[in-house]
Amino acid sequence: MKMAAGLDISRLYDEHAQPLYAFLLNLTRDEADTRDLLQELFVKLARSPHLLAGIRAERAFLIRLAHNAAIDLMRRRGTRDKTKENFAAEMISPFAPTNDPDEKVFRENLAAALGELPEEQRAVVHLKLWEGLTFEELAAALEIPPNTAASRYRYGLDKLRERLRPLYEEMKRAES
Amino acid sequence: MNEELDKFEQRLSRQPLRPIPPDWRTEILAAARASRPAPRAWLSALNPQLSTVFWPHPKAWAGLAAVWILIFALHFSMRDPSSRIAEKSAPLSPEVLVELKKQQRMFAELVGTYEPMAAARRKIFLPRPRSERVEIMVT
Repeated sequence: MKMAAGLDISRLYDEHAQPLYAFLLNLTRDEADTRDLLQELFVKLARSPHLLAGIRAERAFLIRLAHNAAIDLMRRRGTRDKTKENFAAEMISPFAPTNDPDEKVFRENLAAALGELPEEQRAVVHLKLWEGLTFEELAAALEIPPNTAASRYRYGLDKLRERLRPLYEEMKRAES
Repeated sequence: MNEELDKFEQRLSRQPLRPIPPDWRTEILAAARASRPAPRAWLSALNPQLSTVFWPHPKAWAGLAAVWILIFALHFSMRDPSSRIAEKSAPLSPEVLVELKKQQRMFAELVGTYEPMAAARRKIFLPRPRSERVEIMVT
């Protein structure tokens, strides 16, 4: 489906929808919200194809758009859904389901631990660990200084490590 | 410690992420297709092209435009004012005056108010025989 002004929206979807979905799901922890945000993003691109004019790093640019949209949504929701305190436990996991019981427990705990991180740390940890972005790329995508990106990552990772330490140690022992 | 941290990071990064539901593709792309802008006027279609051209250095382009405006402003302000006054008060050429008078007269004739001026009447020369002219002189 070739769009106006040469924008191939199908190609964009095929190349970027999966990582954007995972990122948005990790931020919102709600599949319906993730779908809405993803659709909003592609509709925006179709409506304004010139947004991508001159953009070299498409992925980073799309991550920035997705992140801004997710932040807006969470701010709107912030005042409304204060009751969702048990965020991590209630929400959908960003990880693929598995039949391995150990992996299942680890993923559930990891999803819960990620859910407890502040949004800005969660975004950085997600993009570093699962998108493999460098701190410079991360900084460009999230519009923050690289040092801030690095410190947020370190803080986030430390918290995950603390939270998952018992389980991780147990799994290491079992593996060895 | 660092090695352990690396292992921990590796362990985390190996966790596969949930795949996007496949049926979303059709729905999202259909929504995007439906929101496509209608064919636009050439001017608005030109806008993104212009923004692409100007995008790398918009401030430089704006500066260039400002310089041109300044040049035009200086050019107009430094023009010799007497030449403009002269242009305004320059007398009409004799041909134009004759043409205007002719038109005025024609209009007066049409309206019926045309009367040759007394001075003009006096100037009308009626040829008379030389003998009559003498008589007049005598009388």
